[in-house]
Amino acid sequence: MAKPKIKPEIKTETLVSAAPKWNVVVLNDPINYQGYVVVAFMSVLRINSAEAKKLMRAVHVDGRATVWTGDRERAEMLALELQQWHLNALLEKDA
Amino acid sequence: MPELRLSMTAEARTVLTDLLRLIAPAAARVAVNRANIPDTDVEVAGFWTETLSAQASEEARLLAAAFTNAKGDPAVVILKNDAQAHAFLRALSAVRLALRDLVFADITDAQLESNDELDDDSLPTEKRHALACYACFGLLQQSLITQLCPEAFD
Repeated sequence: MAKPKIKPEIKTETLVSAAPKWNVVVLNDPINYQGYVVVAFMSVLRINSAEAKKLMRAVHVDGRATVWTGDRERAEMLALELQQWHLNALLEKDA
Repeated sequence: MPELRLSMTAEARTVLTDLLRLIAPAAARVAVNRANIPDTDVEVAGFWTETLSAQASEEARLLAAAFTNAKGDPAVVILKNDAQAHAFLRALSAVRLALRDLVFADITDAQLESNDELDDDSLPTEKRHALACYACFGLLQQSLITQLCPEAFD
């Protein structure tokens, strides 16, 4: 007599883990002029002068500011470009 | 974009060109040393170092050529487009950073920022000379930024 086949119950679930975000942080430096930093932000971050000035002031007043947040690859690219402008830019994983 | 012009006296051009000959080769090295290169990924770190070094060397050459070609009195540096103007700005920044690290290492940021506070007699002649050039490179940067983006200094 054939044994009854037991069909295992299979449950599937999809786990979505969001890739961590990365911050591009710029630190204040005493060498580069504020206007220079504004031009660098406009060129690298493709933002207008008002936004660039806002970020520049945050860097100047607080000593550091997050200028961009997003995926790692793009964050690396922007941090490198800001460093090509000789700004103190670094990458931080977003908390 | 109309071409941008930076004017300086022939004497200033000569003095700045002489200093550039000395400092420009070191500017690329300083640019790489100062950079916050991520150390978690060897490949990325290598790419960053190579990119920063190559760019800084290229900009040092651009700066030297621009000053050498600026003839006449006043000597005029002509920058034909945004890309050239940006490269020139970055090159001036690299030179100022190199001077800061290599020549003014013993001067505080606050003193350097308002160089009026620096007692001329307390500095050796070469340092006073370098300080004057540092200020001139800054003036050239400010002149260029004012032409590129007048609202940047508001």
